[in-house]
Amino acid sequence: MQALTSRSLARSSRSIRAFSTSPGRWQAEPLQKPVLQKEFKIYRWNPDEPAKKPHLQSYTIDLNQTGPMILDALIKIKNEIDPTLTFRRSCREGICGSCAMNIDGQNTLACLCRIDRNAGKDTKIYPLPHMYIVKDLVPDLTLFYKQYKSIKPYLQNDNVPEREHLQSPEDRKKLDGMYECILCACCSTSCPSYWWNQDEYLGPAALMAAYRWIADSRDTYGAQRKEHFQNEMSLFRCHTIFNCSRTCPKGLNPAKAIAEIKLALATE
Amino acid sequence: MSISILRTTVPRISGRRIPTVAALQVRNSTASTVYVPGGPIYKGTVNDPTTFPAPSKSHGSYHWTFERLLSAGLVPLTAAAFVTSGTNYPVLDGLLGISLVVHSHIGFDSMIVDYLHTRKFPVIGRIATWTLRTATVGVLVGVYQFNTNDIGLTELIAKVWAA
Repeated sequence: MQALTSRSLARSSRSIRAFSTSPGRWQAEPLQKPVLQKEFKIYRWNPDEPAKKPHLQSYTIDLNQTGPMILDALIKIKNEIDPTLTFRRSCREGICGSCAMNIDGQNTLACLCRIDRNAGKDTKIYPLPHMYIVKDLVPDLTLFYKQYKSIKPYLQNDNVPEREHLQSPEDRKKLDGMYECILCACCSTSCPSYWWNQDEYLGPAALMAAYRWIADSRDTYGAQRKEHFQNEMSLFRCHTIFNCSRTCPKGLNPAKAIAEIKLALATE
Repeated sequence: MSISILRTTVPRISGRRIPTVAALQVRNSTASTVYVPGGPIYKGTVNDPTTFPAPSKSHGSYHWTFERLLSAGLVPLTAAAFVTSGTNYPVLDGLLGISLVVHSHIGFDSMIVDYLHTRKFPVIGRIATWTLRTATVGVLVGVYQFNTNDIGLTELIAKVWAA
């Protein structure tokens, strides 16, 4: 009943406005936001012109007509200034991992990174460092996914129970801080060891995914999983630089997972 | 099966930077399709997982554990060399000499594996590895001679410190 009256009220007020030619005095003036121009310098490289070197292209937009995040700025630039600007994005809320890029020197997700509102300083946006570039801000993640596949990121258990796999709350707790990884590749591409040896070294993202299954009480293939790392390249190229934990946009700690694998290997 | 996949995927992987090759040439692995360590051309297709080297504990966990224990052991060893004299405890001098040299050898070797691995630098990598091995053996012999025939490491450092 109450909803009905409020709806009819709204309809009547709309009809009043429709007849009037100028807003009534009781209506608020639309807020005129000041213009806040900010410069974004974005890495551009076009595979159709491979001879042309990559360069930084400058775009200036009004921050007061833009959303709060870097991704909003990128979308605004693509929509209104330069439709050829290329980047990956999907969920715009930090759960898909598509928009990972290097913003002002830090690997992070564009959708979780606030725009620095200091208009005097430009913001530089590069693709993830030390990756082959497909176009502009889109890196080639083929090898990253091949490595993820190599650690067999799925439950392996030969004694399949009749119903579901049971797990105690304590054992489940061990997976917290690892299962949240969205494979955005921010950590791996921030790791100098991964830059130099990514064809052999798995990188923090794949190693944390591996430990997520080693630590899982329902998985019985821990020994086989660990044996894969008994060589000098796959795991032990980690020199505890900690860039991975520092940069993770989800606040996870891949360095700890790698340390746990090393400890497990050393004490088995 | 693999040929048909290669025909569709390899040119796509390599096509951007390297002129696309005819599909049948893939089997002959020409210069533009051969695997490049860390390069744009991967082993196998895009759907194949990367592979692991043959497991070897001496290259894996044993090496790592030894390295860590040695580094940790150097702390009390150095402290012991500070408070005592090498002339009275020649075993301590010898132990310190060996551990320091082995510790440095592992450190330099790690740098070679990181930056000059033979899979990427077949010539320079081998030269660097053997230079390091020669240097380590040479220094070990030198330290042995110095410890047995001269004043020894600890005394030398004490002298240089005082000078």
